[in-house]
Amino acid sequence: MVVELRKGALVVDELKNVSIRIGEIVTEEEEWAPMGPTPMPGIATLRNWDHFLLKRYRPFYAPYCDMCCLCTMGKCDLTGNKRGACGINLEAQQARIVALACAIGVSAHAGHARHLLHDIEHMLGKKLDEIPVDMGPEIAEVAPLCQLITGIKPRTLADLDRALKYVEEQIVQVVDSLHTGQEGSFLDYESKAFHLGMLDSLAKEIADIAQICAFGFPKGEDNQPLIEVGMGVLDRSKAIVLVIGHHAPPAIDIANYIEENGLEDEVEIGGICCTANDVSRYYQKAKIVSALGRQLKVVRAGLADVIVIDEQCIRADILYHAGKLGIPVICTNDKAMHGLPDMTHEDPDKIVKYLLDGNPGVVILDPCKVGEVAVKVALERRKKRGDDIGPVLNEEQFMNYVKSCTQCGNCTIACPQGIRIGEAMKAAKEGDRSKLEKFWDICIACGRCEQVCPRGIPIIDVLNYAAWNRIINEKGKIRRGRGPVRDSEIRQVGAPIVLGTIPGVIAPIGCGNYPNGTEEVYLIVKEFASRNYIVVLTGCMAFDAALYKDEEGKTVYERFHDRFDAGGVINIGSCVSNAHIHDACIKIARIFAKRNIRANYEEIADYILNRVGACGVAWGAMSQKAASIATGFNRLGIPAVVGPHGSKYRRAFLGRPYRDEDWMVYDVKTGQKVRIEPAPQDLLVAAETIEEALPLIAKLCMRPADTDRGRAIKLTHYIDLSLKYLGKMPDDWHLFVRTEADLPLAKREELLKLLEDEHGWKIDWKRKRIVEGPIRKYDPGFNPTNVERLFKEGFMTL
Amino acid sequence: MPKAFEQPFDAANIPGPKMATLLEKGRPVAMMIKKAKRPLLIVGPDITDAIFERILKFAEKGIQIVATGSAIKKFVDAGYKGNNVKYAVLHELTQFLLDPEWKGFDGKGNYDLVVMIGTVYYHGSQMFAALKNFAPHIRAISIDRYYHPNADMSFGNLWKKEEQHLKLLDEILAEL
Repeated sequence: MVVELRKGALVVDELKNVSIRIGEIVTEEEEWAPMGPTPMPGIATLRNWDHFLLKRYRPFYAPYCDMCCLCTMGKCDLTGNKRGACGINLEAQQARIVALACAIGVSAHAGHARHLLHDIEHMLGKKLDEIPVDMGPEIAEVAPLCQLITGIKPRTLADLDRALKYVEEQIVQVVDSLHTGQEGSFLDYESKAFHLGMLDSLAKEIADIAQICAFGFPKGEDNQPLIEVGMGVLDRSKAIVLVIGHHAPPAIDIANYIEENGLEDEVEIGGICCTANDVSRYYQKAKIVSALGRQLKVVRAGLADVIVIDEQCIRADILYHAGKLGIPVICTNDKAMHGLPDMTHEDPDKIVKYLLDGNPGVVILDPCKVGEVAVKVALERRKKRGDDIGPVLNEEQFMNYVKSCTQCGNCTIACPQGIRIGEAMKAAKEGDRSKLEKFWDICIACGRCEQVCPRGIPIIDVLNYAAWNRIINEKGKIRRGRGPVRDSEIRQVGAPIVLGTIPGVIAPIGCGNYPNGTEEVYLIVKEFASRNYIVVLTGCMAFDAALYKDEEGKTVYERFHDRFDAGGVINIGSCVSNAHIHDACIKIARIFAKRNIRANYEEIADYILNRVGACGVAWGAMSQKAASIATGFNRLGIPAVVGPHGSKYRRAFLGRPYRDEDWMVYDVKTGQKVRIEPAPQDLLVAAETIEEALPLIAKLCMRPADTDRGRAIKLTHYIDLSLKYLGKMPDDWHLFVRTEADLPLAKREELLKLLEDEHGWKIDWKRKRIVEGPIRKYDPGFNPTNVERLFKEGFMTL
Repeated sequence: MPKAFEQPFDAANIPGPKMATLLEKGRPVAMMIKKAKRPLLIVGPDITDAIFERILKFAEKGIQIVATGSAIKKFVDAGYKGNNVKYAVLHELTQFLLDPEWKGFDGKGNYDLVVMIGTVYYHGSQMFAALKNFAPHIRAISIDRYYHPNADMSFGNLWKKEEQHLKLLDEILAEL
């Protein structure tokens, strides 16, 4: 029951033995925009939008396993799309597993966000409603995803808490559907995966806004300072605290302890993964040692006096590897405690002594206690070692190991990359170590090879030894993570992005399971930034892009500016920061097109799919979080390209350009349905090699609403990248030509000739115009939508 | 169950009860190609120069080839002029192959036999898995240096016996 009190007096008199309880005090929400149609959508709310996407981008399934082993009626053989004992077929089972992966991914981000809110209250000693959501003077649209999905424009962190409760409730609902005997349709499982992907984007935004506002991280300012990155940047003469994971508060406490005690010259914080990115947003002296793909290389190189882990993407065998070198491990998060004793409530000095006594590690769940313990342990351990850290092996040991290799090949068939380790061992035995050094970078340091080597060769140590010079000289520079894109920047670039004259926004994001080493990340960034795309990076790819230098000795972060503008290379921040990439796209709809973004998901996703040429690139996508991140991008109308390992996610969203019925859109201007070009052709696609990926990424930036000038620019890059990396014109370039003005000016005549000769188009050569041939004619007023409701009722503009 | 199979090149890639029949001769492949109404040879980027020499001979025999990844560059660099070699993104191509209504590269219809060589191993394995489970209209075979469990039939692991692999390719070519 709700009792609403209005102006006047409420008199409660002469009541005895009546208890009055006041639960949550709800203040009236500021009417910042009219409420849209879908505040806090449930599983089925956006189903129509999902089913539109799923019709155009039909899910493609490549099973990783043909069986289901989830209940005791199994194992069930689903080969050939058979149904199992519960009735589910292979197609739906694949979609179910994808939804499960997304559920794990969004739970990691939502769990992280929840943990952050708890830690923020604890560390700052403030209630959430006392901490304002203030994103600085140039950001009025403070939380676009939150506004779009929930209808809440947060004023304090308590509002973020409300949004997070919604996320948590929805995750439970979708995970329920994964139980045996629930959903039977692959399409509806995909719709649920989309739902989880959307929730994932919201959870990330909540987490990042919370840490920005609580810890004073940058609020989107450009010209960020450069942070050192690479395995060679640690000052090994100092005590080294190595932080690994994705949850920054313990690392922040370490930074506080160092500063408060004036230990900057004695203690170094180095980090792996997103904790590294986030702590450098707080403490500029922090160094980023590596991305995820180097984790085992760093640990096994012994580049730490103490290791502090928090959550996500930490090796499950961290204790085993750290223990080999006697490095103690401090677990700071209840999600990863590795069987260690919980000493949270012990006196810090007692914990320090325990760790220095040779014990493998402890659990400390209070972030405010981690700094003191970690720094004291590191300082004491530093005293006991020499001034430098050298390779774990010596020359004799190295040679003995390479000589003992019999080239049996067990390592190669255990290796995710199929690296011919035996060949490199043989070459090293004969005096050529270059292959080992080359493989060092291609190797993702998973360690599977060591477990199958019949000679017990510590292959990671052998690789580290061969590459030691590279390791200690690996010194790159990265911009500090700047967080959100400012509204003022969107005002500048909204029009050129939508018109297509800025050819696209490229977002290299995510993990380090690359097919061929880290240098390809650098290539992606350099190639697109130099072509005036906007390149926004987060997570591991942001680090790996910083490891290489051009002929002038500059990294991409030094060579290019970090404004959200043409030719920019921007480290947005950690994994959770990539919500700001979604946010930038949403803000284009809000600020440039004046669309109402409040609780209006379908309309804004439709806008982005038709008009915003953005493309995610997860070249080394590995984790379940990467699955939910990509799926969240996809529901919002943003395609993503993954590396070849990405096909192991089992599902892709691949369009079929030859099916007219899949590419029909409503044109609000003419009131007609129009067959459009396949733009973008896919929502999720794996490229086999980098040479293939580069033109593919350019292709996926084309949108049906491109102007002719914009399309000409985009087509120029698509053709040019194809010629440069594949040595030929793309076979499908003509599909994207609507008018002669879409053709790159410098090549217009040549391309008209090709259209006539190879594709049978009719050309008026006197006027140099296309008479017949394109899928559709260019109409500058074309106003596309895929949503019938919007076609009939119009858009919600402000 | 297949008559014989091998350990997959990626050792843990055991998909389920159905795994590729091991092919130890080239001749049966040639027979399948000859018998097929619409054969398609998919050539990926993981090929040596010696393998590519053989692939060019397949091309010269007129079989429809699609080069994926960066394999197309090898044909360009070799100056191959025939119009029976196309380029495609393997992921996209496999999606088209799953659709019985797809008209193929020449507009004459989908393919009934897919032969793969040189794809990035783990990615190619996934594409075979898609064809195995969702393209009953296609028989898929691997003539690569690696045993591909998700194919209908596959050569064994010959990555350490390259001469033997080349000999098998030559056997196929001799029969075509």
